[in-house]
Amino acid sequence: MQTSGNMKWLWLAIGAIVMLALPQLVSSSFAIDIFIRILLFSFIGVAWNLMGGYAKQLSLGHAAYFGLGAYTSTIMQVNYGISPWIGMIAGGVVATLASLPIGWLCFRLRGPYFTIATIATAQVLMLIFLKFRDFAWGAEGTTIPNLGSAPLMMQFEEKSSYYYVVLGLLVVGLWITHQIEKSWIGYYLVAIGEDEDAAEAIGVNAPKVKRDIYMISAFLTALAGTFYTQYIYFIDPATAFSFSVSIEAALVSIVGGIGTLWGPVIGTVLLETTSALLQSWLGSSVGGIQLTVYSLILMAVILWRPTGLIGFATDVYHRTLRRKPARA
Amino acid sequence: MWETLAQAVINGLLIGGIYALVSIGVTLIFGVVKIVNFAQGEFVMLGMYISFFLATQFGIDPLVSLVVSMPVLFVAGVLIQHFLIRRVLGPNDMPQIFLTFALSLLLLNLSLMLFSANYRTVHTSYSDEAWHIGGLYIPVAKLIAFAVAMALSGLLWVFLHTTDLGRAMRAASQNRDVAMLMGINPNRVFAVAFGTALALAGAAGSLLMPFYSAYPFVGQVFVLMAFVAVVMGTLGNVMGALVASLMMGIAESLGIQFVGADSGLIVVFALLLLTLAFRPSGLGARRGR
Repeated sequence: MQTSGNMKWLWLAIGAIVMLALPQLVSSSFAIDIFIRILLFSFIGVAWNLMGGYAKQLSLGHAAYFGLGAYTSTIMQVNYGISPWIGMIAGGVVATLASLPIGWLCFRLRGPYFTIATIATAQVLMLIFLKFRDFAWGAEGTTIPNLGSAPLMMQFEEKSSYYYVVLGLLVVGLWITHQIEKSWIGYYLVAIGEDEDAAEAIGVNAPKVKRDIYMISAFLTALAGTFYTQYIYFIDPATAFSFSVSIEAALVSIVGGIGTLWGPVIGTVLLETTSALLQSWLGSSVGGIQLTVYSLILMAVILWRPTGLIGFATDVYHRTLRRKPARA
Repeated sequence: MWETLAQAVINGLLIGGIYALVSIGVTLIFGVVKIVNFAQGEFVMLGMYISFFLATQFGIDPLVSLVVSMPVLFVAGVLIQHFLIRRVLGPNDMPQIFLTFALSLLLLNLSLMLFSANYRTVHTSYSDEAWHIGGLYIPVAKLIAFAVAMALSGLLWVFLHTTDLGRAMRAASQNRDVAMLMGINPNRVFAVAFGTALALAGAAGSLLMPFYSAYPFVGQVFVLMAFVAVVMGTLGNVMGALVASLMMGIAESLGIQFVGADSGLIVVFALLLLTLAFRPSGLGARRGR
């Protein structure tokens, strides 16, 4: 959307004030929990979107990096007493390094088989961590020692503090995406996403660009893993490498608008709000209802609006204002 | 030692027959329609529930209910191809991957709502029967499942090689554009391929029922195995998928026997990763391609 520069800054300022004030205005911890989930999954979606949205490398294995981030910081904290703030960065580095061999293997396949290979790598990591009983607690997992109020150890008494941490992560993710969008690498990514062979033919070093963006995407996803573990005070292979993390990362981006800056955020708001409403209406007694609804939304988006809600909103905006056709 | 080894190989081979039915379906759809059906495992699950309900409500033997589950899933496949898949065929991967993925999520979670997460089993007269040959133990239900699976694979091979429709499907999988120039109706071929693949998944479900529990997530086990087999056996290659599935079954069983009860999947994934590292186009690939 072509808004003038000043308007854009005004909107951003209003948005920032609302986001900063939100936890002060809402006292219900249920609501703040939902806000935190929305911000967290928006952030994971933003990380996925760099890789899946712009370069169209549709990974369903981002739980691998989420889990590596979670385990790195937790192992450092529980076994060596190192602050999760440091562990978070270390987790990001571990995930980035892991993305090199994983990418080397998976990028040999294209399209759906790339997707399957990414699923397999996340599963392998989960199985490996199930086996590591000596320093990673095996299948039982472990609880994070609760230190009360310890901001230096990423532990807070107020839920709103967690809110600000994850809000910060999301801002970083969006800022990085914005920088990439504006840069040459952004154009390279879109070219690879449109047609990889054609992109290579005009001189884009596709393997290198894909590798680099995969590293960034993995790094960011790992940060989310650390945050989530600190937030729920618990880790085990099934939650850290949960397939549903991989699914939701992709889902929010696709529903919101794949390959767009704000798509993952909008998708998460829709999906998480729907899920929260369903939970409050039906209770959690009906297993499977949340993902049933998610999958119906996903199908509807794919069949009728492959550009997602952002594409839909843009179409409506152009049509009602009759400025120009939605797409050339 | 040798007996344990032989027993592990037999166990793996027998379950590999079921993997083969699932992977042949995946590879058939990939070869002809050029999409990956992420929901293939959920159709195995549906086949199991069909057999389960026919057995508990009407006392029909799961092996007999094959004649219900296969046609029902064939029709489901034709309808899904016609109303859903057809709309997303094109150069863009994203809608194809995520449509069948959404279908998988939908079927899985609907089953969770309708059937609950409970494990359902059917006990037949031959469920506990086994032959002892030498020191080896061969469960009858698994042997029947393996034999029927191999027979169905053979029938498919005959269908693909001797009938016009089968030849049309192979032609479409080798070169879709040229096949269409030769007057092959792609929509019909796609619908039959999708229907056949789902019928095979349904057959796998019915064959599993005498010795395996049905639960909503059961398909995930089989579909992962099938994906690995299809990648190893070269995408779109029916024979490759069959051989790779049997190998998968054996590899998994050897892993369980010699590495540890929960290591079957690790061995299988390790094989996948090794294949990707050293033979990315699969074991069945011809040289020079």
